[in-house]
Amino acid sequence: MIPASWKRYQLSQLVNKALSLPKPIPFDFLVRGEILRTTLGEWCAEKGIGEEETLEIEYFESIMPPQRMSSLPHEDWVSSVSSRLSSHFLTASYDGQLRVFDYSQKLLRTVPLHDAPTTSLAIIPSDLAGFAENTHLIASASHDLTAHLTKLSLSDSSDLPSHQILASLHLHTAPLSSISANTSGKHLLTASWDGLIGLWDTLVPSSDEVPLEEPQGGERKKRRKLGDSENSKPKRKAPLNVLKSHTARVSRALFAPSGNQAYSTGFDSTIRTWDVENGVCLSTITASAKPFLDLALTPSGTSVLAASTDRTVSQYDIRAPESAATPSSATFMHSGTPSCIAVPASGSEHQFMTGAYDGVVRLWDLRSTKGAVTSFKVWEAKGGGKVLSLDWGNGVAVIGGEGGVEVWKANQGDRSVVSSN
Amino acid sequence: MAGPRVNGNSKKRKAATEEHAQPEETVFSHNVGLEMQSEDEGSEGDESDNGEVDEFPEIDPRSDSEADEEYPGDSAEDEEEDEDKDDEEDEEEESEDQSEDDDISDDDLHIFPKAKTVTSDITGQLKRVFPPIEPDYDSDSSTEEAPNRVGNIPMHWYDELPHVGYDINGRKVLRPARGDELDKFLETIEDPNSWTSAFDKKAQADKPLTAEELDLIRRLQENEIPDAQYDPYEPTIEWFTGKGKEEIMPLSGAPEPKRRWVPSIWEKQKVMKIVRAIRQGRILPNKPKTASDKAQFYAIWNEEPSAHPAPLPAPKPRLPTHAASYNPPEEYLPTEEERKRWEETEKEDREQNFLPQKYSALRLVPAYNQFIQERFSRQLDLYLAPRIQRTKLQIDPNSLIPKLPSPNSLRPFPVYKSLSVLHAKTRVRSVSVSPDGAWVVSGDESGNVSLWEVIVGKEVKRWKFDGKVGALEWCPRTDVVFFVVATEERLHFVIPPNLPAPVLFATQAVLSPANLPPAPATPSPVKWTSVSAASSSSEKPILTIDLPPSSGLPKQIAWHRKGDYLSTISSGEGQGGVWIHQISRRHSQAPFKKVKGAVQLVLFHPTKPHFFVATQRYVRIYNLAEQKLLKTLQAGIRWISSMDVHPLGDHLIVGGYDRKLCWFDLELSDKPYKILRFAFHLSHYGRRTNMFLCFM
Repeated sequence: MIPASWKRYQLSQLVNKALSLPKPIPFDFLVRGEILRTTLGEWCAEKGIGEEETLEIEYFESIMPPQRMSSLPHEDWVSSVSSRLSSHFLTASYDGQLRVFDYSQKLLRTVPLHDAPTTSLAIIPSDLAGFAENTHLIASASHDLTAHLTKLSLSDSSDLPSHQILASLHLHTAPLSSISANTSGKHLLTASWDGLIGLWDTLVPSSDEVPLEEPQGGERKKRRKLGDSENSKPKRKAPLNVLKSHTARVSRALFAPSGNQAYSTGFDSTIRTWDVENGVCLSTITASAKPFLDLALTPSGTSVLAASTDRTVSQYDIRAPESAATPSSATFMHSGTPSCIAVPASGSEHQFMTGAYDGVVRLWDLRSTKGAVTSFKVWEAKGGGKVLSLDWGNGVAVIGGEGGVEVWKANQGDRSVVSSN
Repeated sequence: MAGPRVNGNSKKRKAATEEHAQPEETVFSHNVGLEMQSEDEGSEGDESDNGEVDEFPEIDPRSDSEADEEYPGDSAEDEEEDEDKDDEEDEEEESEDQSEDDDISDDDLHIFPKAKTVTSDITGQLKRVFPPIEPDYDSDSSTEEAPNRVGNIPMHWYDELPHVGYDINGRKVLRPARGDELDKFLETIEDPNSWTSAFDKKAQADKPLTAEELDLIRRLQENEIPDAQYDPYEPTIEWFTGKGKEEIMPLSGAPEPKRRWVPSIWEKQKVMKIVRAIRQGRILPNKPKTASDKAQFYAIWNEEPSAHPAPLPAPKPRLPTHAASYNPPEEYLPTEEERKRWEETEKEDREQNFLPQKYSALRLVPAYNQFIQERFSRQLDLYLAPRIQRTKLQIDPNSLIPKLPSPNSLRPFPVYKSLSVLHAKTRVRSVSVSPDGAWVVSGDESGNVSLWEVIVGKEVKRWKFDGKVGALEWCPRTDVVFFVVATEERLHFVIPPNLPAPVLFATQAVLSPANLPPAPATPSPVKWTSVSAASSSSEKPILTIDLPPSSGLPKQIAWHRKGDYLSTISSGEGQGGVWIHQISRRHSQAPFKKVKGAVQLVLFHPTKPHFFVATQRYVRIYNLAEQKLLKTLQAGIRWISSMDVHPLGDHLIVGGYDRKLCWFDLELSDKPYKILRFAFHLSHYGRRTNMFLCFM
């Protein structure tokens, strides 16, 4: 029995005592999918729940209000950020450049990847490629209809070129919207506005697999000969397979952790599961009038989160058998169009972060659909701006968008369950 | 004889007095008392009888004539009788009047002049003789004695005045002094006669009643005959019965006239006329008896039942309710509002054709003023009006409102602002969305043209042109991608960046073909200049069309659906400013020599070679192949602001600055099929659905 006048603080003390923790840890409490902000009695009165009923209260470690750590200014909008490279931040920008920052906010590299805006970047985990230390393989997708595989060296020695574009991936006839690699680093998925998903391997071909398109006419042949003589030119690479099923722009395609399945979503309001090896669409979740902008797998791997332009992020169970219209199991309402979802690589399996066009980054708990656990506004000094990309891991959130890149400290807590009445 | 009729009325009474007075010879009336005795004792002598017999015929005419003094020149007896009746009626009225005056008024009661009893010279018996009435002005009993000559008027008119009227000489009759109530009371105690005095209205004073009057009152109270001298039980006078009174001789000695025994010639003629008619067979004395004359019987139920429906029963009048009562309960009485509403509604629409009214007594209820109308309408109901069950239209006004679809079924439609992007500070003149919907170009007044990525709202590329950008439009083709920017007297064709190679090459081939088509025979004032495909880039327009000088800033670009033709409207003067450019032939022409009114908008028909031209108020449809005017649509809009045609080409919507939207069915008339109000500034048909978008 807990007095109805108790608030979070008293409950937190109770849990601390019960667990006999050596150091007191603040906890937050979830009652029926809602974070407790008032006293229990007020909460019951508001919901019209009798005092006799048994309430199940979950507790999880409180999330400290996120704090801004640093700001990495960019000239143009940042379309993709990554903090997966240890102690480095990688950003891809609309000016086509890849920038590498270290934790001391120092700009280490500026790599001109594309002539057109870069939309997405992925770090290919490649310890097997025989690269030198501090050398990474990076895939980037762009508006110029190609994706590039780039070798990036972060070592200080200047004898090696800091970067080299190894290959360009040619398949799509429209700008690419995302690129992602699987955990083993052997395969890539590109999603494009033309509704196709390309499946690629990360091997760099020795010669062009795709001929250069040229108009009919003798004038162009000369150039082709000249191009052949250049060795350093990126090789033109063809896809392993093309996943065709979407009827509109594909906004995101990513691998399942197992590696032989992939998920994709797009503007045709569907979320598709693919068998990567055979290139077959296994199942389709169809929502109504929800063009999806981004997709993320929950840490448990049993459901996906999809951000839609109708200002919601919806959770769909991907284990559910295929049906005409699968209702979303949970819907998270936003006040601006959510553009990106970040799920921490490790840690809490119930928390995720979304960035929206209203410049607010929200931290959600999957069990609390009514409101965000916490939220913060980025680029407040500049008057806000759209958040376009988000990466969250190890207690650090990197946010890229209209105003550049900001780094925020945002912890995630562990959780347990307690029940009381 | 007239005695019993005399009671309480002066005139008759007068007549009666005269009756008694005039024939001085008559005795019998005088001897009433005596005769009563005589009757008791036995029969009277012959003399009296004789005298009475003689006088009897003389009395009647006299009394009649005298009674009718006011009507000189009487002729017929009938008339007299009539007048008699009139008199009686008059008298009755008067008697009513006087009843109001009560018995108190002494003039009227001072009726019976004292009769003297004298011995008749003729009969030698005692008789009552009344003083003769002098036929002067004073002979009217109503004018006796009273000093106040105001007549029969309500005396309260003089209440405020010091006098109570005027005497015969016109002098004021002053109001006698009257004491207050205390005086009156004291008077009643002190004066033994006060209880026999009554208030005289004319004199405005109490007057003691005379002995006669008191006697009269007493008699009236005791239900006796007021006239003390009247004997209701006078003995019958035997005129013809009794010994010696039988009539032996005929009344007249004239011989019997001849006609009594001679048959009448006229009767004979009449009879002969009938006889002749019978003989000639004109009159049948008896109808010939035939078999058909026998009573006929038939079975009334034997006939076939009628196929017609039974006549409708006459409508029954509604029974009156409490509301129709002359004294209805309070709740039936209409309030002021109900009364007003009842008066405002039409006569036919009223639920009831009267308003309940309350009267305190039944005698105060006036005549029903709707009686005639109601009877008349009832008659109409009964046999003039057709007895059709009138079906009253019971329409719920809500059912006439068209059922609006629920907003959810109309989705998707804009609900919230998703993105807003900021242009430079100048005004944006034109926006166009690419056919695939992923890109938007916008042009502003400072000559900047921006290419936006729709979903993110990022400006991907920017071009700078000289002068204002009046209009820009994407080419609707999907195999080639480019858009047209209209600046001052120029059209620029621009290829956006990042196109796939095949599309890029196709676009370049369209806009800057290797082999230019032959120049048209007639030199055109419009010049086409293009950059060669090899040297072209997305930075610079690949093709430029120079419109004739002083044509001004084009304000609209309209593409044909197939993307080969485009039309521009220049804001400058001359030829209406409408130009049609054909890209494949690199040729421009002005279709109209002269256009009435300022051209607002142009539009190509999606399937037919038709061309819509909207001026301020009209939309004209031209056939470009036959070069003639097909139709003029009258939108009824003051100033047309926008226009779009359905992708199938049979409907046209036109929006106006006066917030109206007209929907034309091109197959039908020149008039709008539908007009929607309170809408729209800009209208556009959806590509796939049959909905159209309207923006305020």
